[in-house]
Amino acid sequence: MTPLKRASAWLDRAEEVFAALALGLMTALTFVQVILRYLFETGFVWSLEATTYTFGWLVVVGMAYGVRTRAHIATDLLTRTLKPRAAQIVACIALALCLAYCALMLAGSFAFVDGLMRLGHDAQDIPVPRWLLASILPVGFALLALRFVQAGWRHFAPAASPRSDGGVSAGAARSGEDGNAAGGGS
Amino acid sequence: MSLVWLMIVLFVCLFLGVPIAIALGLASITTLLLFTDHSLIVLAQRFFYTMQVYPLLAIPFFILAGTFMTTGGVARRMIDFANALVGHFRGGLAMAALLACALFAAVSGSSPATVVAVGTIMIAGMVASGYRREFAAGLICNAGTLGILIPPSIVMVVYGAVTETSIGHLFIAGVLPGVVLVLALMAVVAFRARRDDLPRQPRAGFATVLRTGREAIWGLLLVVIILGGIYLGAFTPTEAAAVSAVYAFVVAVFVYRDLKLRDVPRVLTESARITAMLMFIIANAFLFAFVLTTEQLPQQISAWIIDLGLPPWAFLLVLNLILLVAGNFMEPASVILILAPILFPIATALGVHPVHLGIIMTVNMEIGMITPPVGLNLFVTAGIADMSVAQVMRAALPWLAVLIAVLLLITYVPAISLWLPVLVGWPDAAS
Repeated sequence: MTPLKRASAWLDRAEEVFAALALGLMTALTFVQVILRYLFETGFVWSLEATTYTFGWLVVVGMAYGVRTRAHIATDLLTRTLKPRAAQIVACIALALCLAYCALMLAGSFAFVDGLMRLGHDAQDIPVPRWLLASILPVGFALLALRFVQAGWRHFAPAASPRSDGGVSAGAARSGEDGNAAGGGS
Repeated sequence: MSLVWLMIVLFVCLFLGVPIAIALGLASITTLLLFTDHSLIVLAQRFFYTMQVYPLLAIPFFILAGTFMTTGGVARRMIDFANALVGHFRGGLAMAALLACALFAAVSGSSPATVVAVGTIMIAGMVASGYRREFAAGLICNAGTLGILIPPSIVMVVYGAVTETSIGHLFIAGVLPGVVLVLALMAVVAFRARRDDLPRQPRAGFATVLRTGREAIWGLLLVVIILGGIYLGAFTPTEAAAVSAVYAFVVAVFVYRDLKLRDVPRVLTESARITAMLMFIIANAFLFAFVLTTEQLPQQISAWIIDLGLPPWAFLLVLNLILLVAGNFMEPASVILILAPILFPIATALGVHPVHLGIIMTVNMEIGMITPPVGLNLFVTAGIADMSVAQVMRAALPWLAVLIAVLLLITYVPAISLWLPVLVGWPDAAS
């Protein structure tokens, strides 16, 4: 295993573990809040805000994880009817559009976090600076871009897995199945 | 002009096979940059803000509860119970499959999940007992759509969040239309059973009914907790969802014991994956809706439609057509997010009750799940029935007539949606 592959496997695992923990934490926080209210007539003021930010982190990290596991829904209305050569070209354009999206959102996220940093406020109920809570956004979109590049690499590289049969053409999002095997994380 | 650009980018992206979420996002971003003074910062901020919308927090919890119930053997117990109840009729196994879909819909807020939970067991079972594979797949594919009509329902959560309609009202209102749809499908199964001489199962004794019922009751209590809790004002829908997720965990791990504690991380990961996928679409659909609003498009379109002076019945027909077409091309949550702000003001101006509109939209989304190109149920059914998507599409087509008939009934008889909420004492649902 090359260091690059090892790093990639580690990243895959980290994404999964993080997403699972975030969901568990959100559920536990909300559930405990209900219990506290009924049994002890109390609650934590920070609970709701902590839950919503955990939710945000879960989604932002999870969207990249979704590319690898082919979770994202796309249509194959056009690509299904094309010849392999044309399908390859369309898949290439689709991938470029996905990367353009990542780049634009990445730029927006950086500017957003930068703005928050300059304001320097803390979040409402939790004593953490707002910019830090939002800093997952640029990380998430960078990860998303990385996943699309990986998926594209697997799809277009000549040494791609033997199962690249055109069925993966529906955007890079569909090519995560081999990713599972290659990632070894799951 | 901006509307034209928005739509062109969206559809070009969709046809090229770009994921729906990104197609929505890219259309919104480019429109914003080309036609407004807003910067990219607003988009990043809006995107992140989606996860702070309190009612939407219910979505990950309902998904988690549903995943526990799917992997935890609840579906099998519901199937056993349904089979004990109706298996002895002609075509009994098909009726049991249908009933099991309805029961499972009451613990799951999503249609594809319902198809997977019941279909994995029942399609093979029906084929083994001599049903045609097409019949089995077509039935399950359609009955699975009950997942979003019978509470809990993720689609209703989204509708409630955008239109500020009570999610509790919507959930209760979905019960009766769900029953009507089950009865309609049941009638068709009974008719086909007689015509094609479909097999019966041996009659289950009363003891079996009681035993399977007692086994299934733990799963069914979930919907009682959700509806009861919201109705009594014990929890908000979001809290009810979190409580039901914890309840589903306890039932799967400690009551049914189909799931070991060490399986729990896998359930969490799978639910997180579905949550992120769905929320990624919703967040981008929020961007899309935001761009529409900054360009004042909902108001313009609403005003234009109101100017047409359509009578309510004609408007409802147009509304259904728009929703059916949109439901074909997109995923339900995004359709609701984009179209509800446009349709809601017109509907209320014409005296359509918000809860009734929510139910109409939900039933339309059900139909969208079984029509290409983005019919999620078709893809899922094809996967578990070992058929091609085209085959499932043909198999599901005859049943579509039933769904459309029920849609028209629900559209033009508001009482089906509003009677139950009024009965349980929400006077404002009557207006």
